[in-house]
Amino acid sequence: MLRYLRLLGLGLRISISLGAQYRWNFLVDGLVSILYTILGLIPLYIAFHARPSLHGWTYATALVVVGWFSLLKGILDGAINPSLLSVVDQIRQGTLDFVLLKPADAQFLVSTAKFEPWKVVDGLAAIGIFAWAFHLLGRAPGGLDVLASLGLLGCATLVLYSIWILVVAAAFWVVRLDNLAYLFNSVFDFARWPVSVFRGALRIVFTFVIPIGIMTTYPAEALLGTLTLQTGLLAVAGSFGFVVLSRTVWTRAIGRYTSASS
Amino acid sequence: MASPLAVEVRALSKTYQVHERPPGLAAALRSVFRRKYRTVHAVADLSFTVEPGERVGFLGPNGAGKTTTLKMLAGLLHPTSGEARVAGHVPRRREAAFLKSITLVMGQKQQLLWDLPPADTFTMNRAIYEVSDADYAETMGDLTELLDLGEIMKKPTRQLSLGERMKCELAAALLHRPQVLFLDEPTIGLDVAMQLTVREFIRQYNERRGATVLLTSHYMDDVASLCPRVVVIDQGRLRYDGDLPTLVQSIQPDKRVALRFSGVADRDALARAGKIVEFDAARAVIQIARADLREAVGHLLGLAWVSDLTIEDPPLEEVMRELFSAPKSEEAATADAVESA
Amino acid sequence: MSLLADLGRAARAYPTLLRVGFAEAVAYRAEMLVWMLTTTMPLVSLALWSAVAETAPVGRFTERGFAAYFLATLLIRQLTGSWLVWELNTEIRSGTLSRRLLRPIHPLITYSAENLAAIPLRFALTLPAAIVWLVVLEPGAFPRAPLDLLAMVLSLIGAWLINFFTMALIGSMAFYLESSTAIFDLWMVAFMVLSGYLVPLDLFPQAIRSVAHALPFRYTIAFPVEIATGLVRGQAMLRGLLIQWTYVLGVGAAAILAFRAGVKRYSAFGG
Repeated sequence: MLRYLRLLGLGLRISISLGAQYRWNFLVDGLVSILYTILGLIPLYIAFHARPSLHGWTYATALVVVGWFSLLKGILDGAINPSLLSVVDQIRQGTLDFVLLKPADAQFLVSTAKFEPWKVVDGLAAIGIFAWAFHLLGRAPGGLDVLASLGLLGCATLVLYSIWILVVAAAFWVVRLDNLAYLFNSVFDFARWPVSVFRGALRIVFTFVIPIGIMTTYPAEALLGTLTLQTGLLAVAGSFGFVVLSRTVWTRAIGRYTSASS
Repeated sequence: MASPLAVEVRALSKTYQVHERPPGLAAALRSVFRRKYRTVHAVADLSFTVEPGERVGFLGPNGAGKTTTLKMLAGLLHPTSGEARVAGHVPRRREAAFLKSITLVMGQKQQLLWDLPPADTFTMNRAIYEVSDADYAETMGDLTELLDLGEIMKKPTRQLSLGERMKCELAAALLHRPQVLFLDEPTIGLDVAMQLTVREFIRQYNERRGATVLLTSHYMDDVASLCPRVVVIDQGRLRYDGDLPTLVQSIQPDKRVALRFSGVADRDALARAGKIVEFDAARAVIQIARADLREAVGHLLGLAWVSDLTIEDPPLEEVMRELFSAPKSEEAATADAVESA
Repeated sequence: MSLLADLGRAARAYPTLLRVGFAEAVAYRAEMLVWMLTTTMPLVSLALWSAVAETAPVGRFTERGFAAYFLATLLIRQLTGSWLVWELNTEIRSGTLSRRLLRPIHPLITYSAENLAAIPLRFALTLPAAIVWLVVLEPGAFPRAPLDLLAMVLSLIGAWLINFFTMALIGSMAFYLESSTAIFDLWMVAFMVLSGYLVPLDLFPQAIRSVAHALPFRYTIAFPVEIATGLVRGQAMLRGLLIQWTYVLGVGAAAILAFRAGVKRYSAFGG
């Protein structure tokens, strides 16, 4: 366990020194983040501003959901995407073999290969959005609420990571998968909306298959103080379920790569 | 407790299901819904053993199954049937102790981090393989000396030349002091000087540390100069296991005699001595059966216009071409595609 | 090397290029499936905005209006989409572009063939959506007058061309930078919102709408959709066509020049 923590620290240190080489990336990424955040607020504005509330959500409360979305996007782009995207490439080029030759868990090595710590800009945007939302509400979030929401942030990160592992695992079965990342990002984009806006089959998909509920809506409800205990516990259970599922699928994927099941 | 043998392989086999993709529009559409599969035997019923400290060369045409065999021995692929043991472990179980005792170097692929200096990859590997500070210092000292690493490990990998990258690649692969080395085409694409350097390094590493070396290469010189023992694999099957000179002799028993002339050469006189392979104004090469060699050479040396004479073996490439000149089956052609994937 | 001879050769080879392109599109089943799924995103938008319009229409859009808009978006995206950026990036990085350059036909033409070849298949798979769309559409909304029909066809072709050339332009950046997918991400970010893909441009605040009407993004999705769903007619439609085709020529020229310059650099560095 300690060894893996040390390896994680090493991976972070190496990523930062790598980042120092690409200074202009920081600027461009920062620009893209800010543009993305601002543009992303336009649909929200149209749907909520000066309109009757939507399934219990107003402009101000919906902003909180967007805030969590920005934060999660920062985590996705900075900590999860860089490593996992290169796995698809490694499978295709055959250099994944080197990962499998190492006496350490392949999923861990693959997930910590690369970080982009300068994507922290998205996190700053999120705080700005939270500040604005609570300003509109005319109050500050309760201390307990903040703690609960941070706990759910952990769940959200686990779910996001697990989904990505599932996506990458698909690359073991299929040769060409460039556009799967694009599909994922397109679907994830809908996480800026509160999940209760969706009805019917889509609601089920967004609660169980791509649980944007756990990812953005429930942390938002926690911060707003409207999260029920039942929902919170379900969220925690759901995220652990996802972790187990993704680990199982990953192991199967590696098995297939090494033809273990043949 | 550990088996005395470094590598033990028994009836090892690997088969793949490859789906056929016939040309044409209709066939392409059909393949969306229903696919036809064909079985490819990449490795079939392979058996051999390797003692610790041996250097063994694997020869064979493309798609013969050499890389597949190495990958099975490194634990990267599960065999379809048969058994293998490396350094006392079963490779496919990929136990940590096993992984720490082997290394695989692949010619065209590298494990070095591209944008960072090799030194960072070394640090990474050192942490992953849990190499102690003392061991690391000693091994790196050794490797730096043998490979002449110096400053190049501090430059980003993408700025290094192919040869420099290969040297660092070898260092990264060996800093955990593995007992068994799997080298898959390590000199491919390198210039002659670098090939020699790599060859020398492998020999010295093997002699100093007693590590077992299993090497595949298309460069006959690699195998000839490094490996006292060769294993020939063709179409997934073992064709020969022994030393190279004996193999050469069994295929191409004749010797080559190269002559230089000081005056005008008599072609007929040469033709009587043996089969003329090359002939021009200044030199000639004649092929002579071993049995007739002594007499023929004696005769040739007596000719006034012969100024220099050397006795050689036929080039290895030719020997190998003979050995593999059996028409390639369809299977092997597909095994080609499978191996290079 | 006369231009006419080049074009003639390209024209003769085109049917075969289309056939092979189709076979390639079908060869990677999973990728095709993912592609299909990606382009169904407008259906999610449909669900979303229908829910918003439940209580009260948003601007001039009722639930039915949103349905018509987003179904049209789905169909038009299928017809005009291009993924050239990824293909170019991969081919440049791996060096397989060299193979394409050896052919006596300009690479952009072969790329276009591959793109167009996939369209019939994609459209066939979204036929159910097309039928639903025709049902949902308000009577009289579909362009029936010859001028309107012509405008719609022109806007579709223009949309495809802008998409294709933009992808070629951004992809050509990969000749100079490590990878141009970062620039592509920037484009996609702007595209999603400013093209009317996520929200009809009509609903934007006035200031932003004017900006969106001047930028090329609108002319890759929203403009043909607006013609098809009866949201724009007459003077505004003709003005839009003018702007769209100005962009077609501009981006087209830039793409061809950038590609040519890039190929020179690529060959100079031994591809």
